[in-house]
This record gives sequence, C-alpha cells and structure tokens, in this order.
Amino acid sequence: MAGFRVVTDSTADVPPEWCERHGIEVVPLRVLFGTESFRDRVDLTTDQFFDRLRASERLPTTSAPSPGDFAVVYERLSRECDGVVSIHISGDLSGTVEAARVGAGSVEGFPVHVIDSRCLTICLAYLALTAAQADTLEAAVREVEERVPRQGILALLDTLRYLEMGGRIGRAQALLGTVLDLKPILSLADGRVVPLDRVRTRAKAIPRLVERLRQDLPVERLAVMHAQAPEDAERIRATLAAELRDVEVDVGELGAVLGTHVGPGAVGMAYIKR
Amino acid sequence: MKQSLLGSLAWLGAHQEEINRLNVFPVPDGDTGTNMLLTLQSAVEDIRESPAIEVSKIARIAAHGSLMGARGNSGVILSQIFRGFASAVQDKVDLSPTELAAAFEEAANAAYRAVSKPTEGTILTVARQAGRSAAGAAQQPGASSVTVIKAAAAGARAAVERTPSQLRILRDAGVVDAGGYGLQIMLEGMLRSVEEVEDELSKQGPARPAAQATLDLPEEGWGYCTEFLIEGEDLDVDGIRDEIESLGNSVLVVGDGELVKVHVHTDDPSRVITLAARYGRLDRLNVGDMSTQHRRIREDGGAADATEAPEPAEPASLRPNGVGLVAVVAGPGLVEIFRGLGVDEIVEGGQTMNPSTQDMLLAADRLPYDRVVLLPNNKNVVLAASQVDGLTEKSIEVLPTKTMPQGVAAVVAFHPERSLAENVTAMREAAKHVQTIEVTHAVRDSRSNGLTVRKGDVIALINTRLEHAGKEYDSVVGQALSGIGAGDYDLVTIYRGQQATDSQAARLTDSIRGSFPSLEIEVQSGGQEHYPFILSVE
Repeated sequence: MAGFRVVTDSTADVPPEWCERHGIEVVPLRVLFGTESFRDRVDLTTDQFFDRLRASERLPTTSAPSPGDFAVVYERLSRECDGVVSIHISGDLSGTVEAARVGAGSVEGFPVHVIDSRCLTICLAYLALTAAQADTLEAAVREVEERVPRQGILALLDTLRYLEMGGRIGRAQALLGTVLDLKPILSLADGRVVPLDRVRTRAKAIPRLVERLRQDLPVERLAVMHAQAPEDAERIRATLAAELRDVEVDVGELGAVLGTHVGPGAVGMAYIKR
Repeated sequence: MKQSLLGSLAWLGAHQEEINRLNVFPVPDGDTGTNMLLTLQSAVEDIRESPAIEVSKIARIAAHGSLMGARGNSGVILSQIFRGFASAVQDKVDLSPTELAAAFEEAANAAYRAVSKPTEGTILTVARQAGRSAAGAAQQPGASSVTVIKAAAAGARAAVERTPSQLRILRDAGVVDAGGYGLQIMLEGMLRSVEEVEDELSKQGPARPAAQATLDLPEEGWGYCTEFLIEGEDLDVDGIRDEIESLGNSVLVVGDGELVKVHVHTDDPSRVITLAARYGRLDRLNVGDMSTQHRRIREDGGAADATEAPEPAEPASLRPNGVGLVAVVAGPGLVEIFRGLGVDEIVEGGQTMNPSTQDMLLAADRLPYDRVVLLPNNKNVVLAASQVDGLTEKSIEVLPTKTMPQGVAAVVAFHPERSLAENVTAMREAAKHVQTIEVTHAVRDSRSNGLTVRKGDVIALINTRLEHAGKEYDSVVGQALSGIGAGDYDLVTIYRGQQATDSQAARLTDSIRGSFPSLEIEVQSGGQEHYPFILSVE
C-alpha cells in the first residue's frame, strides 16, 4: 500500500462525503456535560448537542483528543500507507495539535507531518482536501503551508458569553464589560481571536460581515458556517453567490466543540484567499 | 471695570429665575439664566481676587475665566463677548468713552464670529445693538463711561423687545429671547454699579496671600493629579514648564504672561506647589489621588501591576491607538453603560446642569492620552465642548452628539485598534443612524412647532425637536415611533429614567410590542432625571 493519508480533527467541520471520497481521517475532540463525555460529531449530532446546550444549566466544556487517540489512528494508518499529513486547529486555541505531535512520536519509523493550521472550521477541511489531492506527501505539506497565511475567518456571535466562559476570548476581551446587548464581530489573526467590530443588531452586523469579506476578495474557496442560524447563513450565501460567480459558496454547520465556544446564533465565513 | 462686572453679576443673579422662565421650549433643559450666571461667575471669580486695576488685565482675566466656566450655548457666546472686549482693550489702563464703545462693538463682532450660523433675534443681535447705541452715545458732547454704558443698556433693552418680531418661536411662545435678556440685565447691572460708585475702582485692598496647602502624603502610591492656575506678571511659561517637568509626568503648562494653567501627575504635590508659588499667586488648586483612577483602569485592562512606577496607567492597559474617550453623561445607569463601553472619563451633567468647558477640559487632561474624542451628548453642551480644543495641548475631537442614544451609538462604533480618523468617521456615521425619542413632562405651557402643550403633559422630542404631546407615555411614544417609521428599524432600547416606575416601563414595553411586533426591545436602567424615558431606535 503506497502513498500518504490525511488526518484532521473534528473542528474541521469536514463534509462527510469528502472523508469517504478522499480518505480523510477525522479524530474527534470531546464535549463534556458534567461528567458525561461525548465525541464531537460521533456520539452527538449537532442538533442534539444544541438541544442539550439549551437545556443545560452549566455550560459544557471541551477537551482535545489524547495523544493516545492520535497514536491509535496513526498506528492503523502505518499499516495502510507510507506517511501522514495531520492538520489541526490552531495551537493557541486547543491542545489538539500538541496531542497529535506527541501521538505521532509514539509510532516509530512512520512519518507523520503535523501542521498547526493557525485556523479552524472548514478552512481546515479545505487544507485537508488540498493535501489529499496532492501527489506526494512533500507536495501536500508545501501546498498546505503555503495556504496557512491565506486563511480568513469572519464571525458574528450572538453574545461573547460563550467565548468568555470557554477562555478563548483573546483580544475580544476589549469588547466585554458592557451592560448593553452587543453583537461582536470577530476574526482570527495568527491563530487567535481578535475583535473587529461591535454592533447593536444582527440586521446591521450581517452586511458588515459581507463588507469585511470584500476586503479579502478574491477567494479560492469559501463557506458560510453557522451554529443554529440557517436562515442568516442562507441569506449570506445568496448574497455572496450573486457576487462571486467563479467560486462555489459552501454552507456548513459548526460542530459541538466550536459550538460550545461561540454559542448558538453564531454565523460567519471561513475562506482561503487567492 | 471690576466694580461694574461685580454689579453685573449681582444683577444677573437677581434675575436668574426670570431669565430661566423665558425658555421657549417646555423641556427641562439647561436653563439660560443659570448658564449665563455660572459663566459670568467664573469670569468674575478671578477678578475679585486680582490686584489688577488696568482695564486690559481685568478684561483678559474675565475673558479667560468665562471661557473656562462657559456652560451652555448662551455661556459660550457670553465668553466670546468678553474675549472680543478684551482684545479691543489690549494695553489700555483706562478707557475713554470712545474706546469703551469700540470695545462693546468688537465684543459683539467676536460673538458673531463664534457662531457658524448666526441667528438674528438672539443675544447676538442684542450685543450688536448695545454696541451701536454705545458708539452713538460716545459721539455726544459730554460723553462719559456712564453715558456710554447707559446707552448700551438702553440699546440692549430695545433690541430685546424686538426679538419676538425676529424669531417666530419667540413670537409663538409670547416671550423675548432669554440670552438677549440676560445680556440686557448684565449691562443694566453694570450701569447701576458705575452710577453708584464711579470712584471705587482704585480702592481695592491688596490680594490675599497664596493659600498654604497642607496635604497628607501616603508612603507610596500612584501620585496625585495636581492642577492649579498661577497668576502673576511676566510669567515665564517655558521656565515653569521645565521646572515642573522635573517633578512629575503628564505635564501640561499652558497660558500667557499673566495666567498659567498647570497640570501634573506627581508623587509630591507640595514640592510642585512650593515651586509654583515662587512665580505668583496660586488659584483653583486641585489635588486628586490617582489611585482611584488607576484602580479603575486596572479593572478594565486586567494586567496592570500596582507596584510599578507612579504612572496614571500601565502601558499594557493603554489603548493601542492612543485615543481617549470623554463623555458628558447624566444618570447612574447611563454612566455605567458609557463606562462599560470603554469611556475613560465621564463628566456628569447634561440635561439640567450643563457642564462647563473647564469640567470637560479637566476630564480630557486627566487622561493618559494626547488625543481625545469628546462626546457632549446634549445639544446644549456641544458648543461649550468645542471650546476645549483651544485650551489644552491635547488634540480634542468633538463628536457633536446631541442625545445620549447618539453618544451610545458612537461609542459602540469606537475601535481601540483603529486610528483616530477612522474612528471619528465610524462614530459620526453610527451616531447619524440612530433616532432618539426623549420623553418628558412639559415644565410650562407653551405653543411651539404647531403644538399646544399644557404644563405637565407628556411630550416627546424626536432628535431634540418637540414633535408629540399627550397625556400618557404609551400613546405619545406610540405616535413618536410611528412618526419616525419605527417599523423599518430593528431595535428599540429604552433607557428608563429615575421617575419611571417598573409598571410604567412594563406597560410601555407591552404597548410598543403590540404596535411594532417586529422590533426587538431592550430595557436598560438609565437613571436619568427629568426624562422618564429615552428611546434609541436603530
């Protein structure tokens, strides 16, 4: 069995058909409601997760896969191919990429190239897809690393509460401390959350998001991602589809782990600039 | 000169309420009489204690004092009248009747120049007529200061009586212009005092010696924000600055040969005071412990360490763009909201008590930033706020917000990582897109804007214009919301005032929800006085 395989984690929000078609492996992070632990996108569907989130008095917590979780996957793949490219959520937001590195070290004599994407959600899936379509492992690594700085995230959150409770608020801290109900618009810069804007209503925020995206055009790939906000996502998709005739605008749903940190109502765009 | 100004102050004080009652609008707002009186008080305060007998010096002190204490639009215009007068009498020890009249005329010209769109039938017209009448009297044989002032007062009175024919709102309300009347009263007060005691000018005793400040200094701390004025002769502004700079930081020393304003953050205020006292008489000494300010900065910014050097704020907690925010806010709830949004200094005031230029200047000077955005949040404070820039070395950008909701919208749009220019553009734009409905009770019967209002009626102002009146909050607010086409907006924020009860707020919310089901409604405790409800529609 020759060639290489691609591994990512569940924060990549990879469309299931890509996994089958391109042999992309997804290692799940975990969501914990109290002592109950669920594997992201395996034990809980997204809808089930948000139903629980709404019903739960305390916010769930999330945890990275263990190095052992990665070792098991790499071990299995070492019997099927010659090497692995393993692409993961920003190391500033999760311990996942570190766990992958440790896990990779435990599989002797099998090359595992671990990449910190500095990003999250479908951007990771785009990187994974790029890697899977490359001819060699070296070419895959090169293609992915070349795209890392071109990724972009723009997100509108319904509240900063979830990001704050989950400890990933970063420089968006500056938007906190207000009695008014403000809608934060955030981005990711060098793997960390940064604030872009705060607005009073979603109706104002959505055109603002699209306006921000225009500064980053043209794009190679782009998706509208959301957590329990399908109507807003569809509205953004329709606007963008009318403008970006040469790019397909995907729509996807955030998984439980990212959902825990952004909260229901989050909507945004993830893209690779051209 | 001195005596006549004191006389004018006393006479204005006696007529303050009468002038207040001339307010055309039935809105509880910064009253003209009070604003003019406080401005004049600030002008005269320094004169009373100054040993100067030269007209030029007294006029300059009055101009400076009135500018620092200017409150409300009428106060700012009054300060410009003093400024014009002072520039006309430069280098003069005494004034001939012709020179006095010319100074009155120049005072009026300066007032006209200060206003971007001068309106006739106001204090401006009255000032000009006073100047013309004075000039006429100065030409008469046997003219004296008394006859010139007498003519000015008579000219002012005639002009005041004509104001209703020049301004329709005055005619409708059946009153004369309050600011113009205030000026007439001041001139009459001057006349009374010069007629009574023409010769007392030179009999003033020597000035009081400088107050000895004694302060309890803590062992260590964050230093003291120390501010005062130095009065003297031929003051060496640069020399004073050099000496003070060695004693602290955030040093600001501005002024001229007679009056210097000093601001410094220092560990040892008594040394600064001793040093400054060598130059001249100290006044308006104000020493504030900055640890309170520091604590707040620390809570907001998180990271600062209390054991570091006595700077007002750690660089880590300073904004990347170096822009500070000052807002004029009334009501404890609104103060919290503005603070929560990141405003560094709040100047309390607005609806009934308009803050002075100096109040805003001190707030801006207290900030650890050289560039400051100032939000007046009240249409009667905008002009006083626009004077601040000329009084400090800092660069002050006034965003002319006329209401609290405009101010909130502007601050929400502020971004700590963007440049001043980008922020000002975004904040202006944001303030423009919010509609304000202010709900209050009429404080007097009135007829204006085609609306007859009885004292006690519920009235609604849309973007500061009186548009609706009635008996109930719900119906008046309903009319106001329909008037601005609220169905096309997304969100109504209701800032509940001190007077509004829970059940009134709940009823109002239900009624809005019933009429405009698509609107999101957020109720916040504003705690403002006099306005039971302020609504922000966006």
